[in-house]
Amino acid sequence: MNLKDILSPLYVWKRAFEKPYSINTLSKERPGAARYRGFHKNDLDKCIGCGTCAEICQNQSIEMVPVHSAKDGDSGLRPKIDYGRCCWCALCVDICPSGSLTMSNSYIWVEEGLDRDVQETYCYIPGADQKPWDSEELGYHRPEGYELLRLERVPMPHLPAEERLESFVEMVKGYSRELAIKEADRCIQCGICTATCPAHMNIPAYIKAIREDRIAEGLKILYETNPFPGVCGRVCTRRCEDVCALSHRGEAISIRWLKRYLTDCIESKDYQGILNSEVVPNGKNIAIIGSGPGGLSAAYYLAKLGYRVEIFEKNSAAGGMLRYGIPEYRLPYASLDKDIDYILSLGVQIHYNTAVGKQVRFDDIYARFDAVFISTGLFEPFIIGIKGEDTPGVISGLKLLDDVTNGREVRLGKHVIVVGGGNVAMDAARTAKRLGSEVTVLYRRRLEDMPADREEIEEAQEEKVVFCCQAIPLEIESTSDGRLAMIWGKAEMKIVEGAKRPSPVLIEGSSERLVADTIIAAIGQGMNFSWMDGEAFARIKFGKWNIEADRWGRSSDQKVFIGGDMFNRTADAISAIADGHRSARAIDKLFNPSNE
Amino acid sequence: METLYKELKQYFDVDEFSVQKASLAFLRVPKSQLVSLLTHMKDIRGYTHLVMVTCVDYLEQDSFLLTYLLHNYSTHCDLGIQVSISRQNPVMDGIHHLWEQGRVYQRELFEMFGIDFPGSPDVHEPMILEGWQGPPPMRRDFDTKAYSEATYSHRPRDHKEPEEYMKQQLYPED
Repeated sequence: MNLKDILSPLYVWKRAFEKPYSINTLSKERPGAARYRGFHKNDLDKCIGCGTCAEICQNQSIEMVPVHSAKDGDSGLRPKIDYGRCCWCALCVDICPSGSLTMSNSYIWVEEGLDRDVQETYCYIPGADQKPWDSEELGYHRPEGYELLRLERVPMPHLPAEERLESFVEMVKGYSRELAIKEADRCIQCGICTATCPAHMNIPAYIKAIREDRIAEGLKILYETNPFPGVCGRVCTRRCEDVCALSHRGEAISIRWLKRYLTDCIESKDYQGILNSEVVPNGKNIAIIGSGPGGLSAAYYLAKLGYRVEIFEKNSAAGGMLRYGIPEYRLPYASLDKDIDYILSLGVQIHYNTAVGKQVRFDDIYARFDAVFISTGLFEPFIIGIKGEDTPGVISGLKLLDDVTNGREVRLGKHVIVVGGGNVAMDAARTAKRLGSEVTVLYRRRLEDMPADREEIEEAQEEKVVFCCQAIPLEIESTSDGRLAMIWGKAEMKIVEGAKRPSPVLIEGSSERLVADTIIAAIGQGMNFSWMDGEAFARIKFGKWNIEADRWGRSSDQKVFIGGDMFNRTADAISAIADGHRSARAIDKLFNPSNE
Repeated sequence: METLYKELKQYFDVDEFSVQKASLAFLRVPKSQLVSLLTHMKDIRGYTHLVMVTCVDYLEQDSFLLTYLLHNYSTHCDLGIQVSISRQNPVMDGIHHLWEQGRVYQRELFEMFGIDFPGSPDVHEPMILEGWQGPPPMRRDFDTKAYSEATYSHRPRDHKEPEEYMKQQLYPED
């Protein structure tokens, strides 16, 4: 043993005073990089529970679990992430339609007490289960400009405004096959829209059929819940599009135009072959009062179940408001007739020009049929309630639309004032414009408060309809040269306690004057009770506004059902169609209690 | 690199020469000549460093493509020597007698792709897949999902589809 051997262990001590090469990582906190893909965060208020994150996840690490109750446009489900499966690829963050899902830069999570249920280990619902990184600003967010979704709509070809005014030709041209498939391809198939549609149409299924070019299959899906797809493909209020997952960061899928595309693809002569509605008569007779969308929808589903259906219609043609309330440029009669003709082809019989209470008594109908479905609609225009309203030259919006449909000669004169801001007001204004008049719309509230469809307002503006908002009609006078003068006052918007929206209040002393040849009142319509008399009605229970009925349209008399505008609060075609379908099932239950 | 290729061509059946950049090129050699070419490169051409050995599964062509990447410290050039072997008989000569670390690559290639290197020490010992029962996982016909479903136990999933769930919640009767 030499000296070196003895000393060598001591040499290492000279290193003790040098700066070490290794880095101390354990005692210091090391945050992830600014855009590190760490544990997830979810803004629960922004999230709509569409499940697209779970759908795109390649490892099935996301499941949708209930966090709160479902409502319109929000399933109430929220993603729960299993970190035993997650590979932090961030596809879920990149695709998130609402933009609620992000990642923090945290990557350390110590789970205490692993002796507890192992099923729940390293799983949590971001946002709902409190985590230390919930308020962490840093971490991965979808980079600006990087987009997996196609947020922009395939534009629908329209007639230009100038050309539109020359005729009543349909202004929306419809999608071609190529455009429809391109638009259908934007859909993420989440199905959030289905609950909002009053008829609960299977929207994802028919959009998928379009994408895969299975047109006949698509038509079958439409008819499962809606025997007016051609009509709804044109004029539906499309509340489905309001809740579309894509509408949160971009433009909703053109659900309405896609539906129209399906019906436009198939000629009416091919409907029977595709839908194959073999009807086996069951010997029961059902009467329907009114041939609007509600009545005809009930007729369709009843006829399919084997009932013999007779409809009593006061007008000379079927369709109700679809025919007499919606102008041809929005819903051509040929398209309406295509849908109606198919319903009638199932053997549904219509008695035209037969008003109940005049040509036929309700009591007779009640006695002769096994059940009655009433859907007469709302056809009594409300009056404005101002002085001079009975002056000749003051008409209702419904009267104008009805006259145009019936081909009666209409003389409106050069200047027309339309009072109101709903869809009937827009239809009346735009119809008057097409008849060659200059049109001013008077509306009590602001433009953004108008209940009319946004698109209709914009199109009316394109067609140079003048909007005069916050204008309260005061009086109508006749002028010396035989014209009409509308006296109106400016209003200011005031928030009244308890009211949902600000109310217009007349500015003291404000008085404006507008001269016109015709004044059209289009401020809504109500129900007509005058025909409802006789023994049968004496037994039916009435509520404050209406016949009392449950959500299936069942009145206090088990033979009598109601539906359509006179029953639901939304008063649109799709709700009436849904009512008709629902009541048809309720009627069937009456005779076949075991059927579901 | 061009000159090198031309010179090699006189001794070996090399082809598919491609230059990626001035200091990096690839070429293809028949299976039977691989070891002698590597020996030549190491002993005579100065490509003394084995950077790595890697494999690509060309399922459609029923072959594996092995790439041996060599580095020359004096010229700082890299040469990738590629050899295609049949998927049906995935056996290759070892190079662990040229580079000791070759046995590690060979062991890995056997584990991940099922390519055998007879005579390579411990070549059938697992590297990271201890207790692996299934087919080699890096082969493209390996079905990850089917394997994991058959092999591992799963947390029960309680996933709800939004459309169906909303129906139950909002309109169960319709």
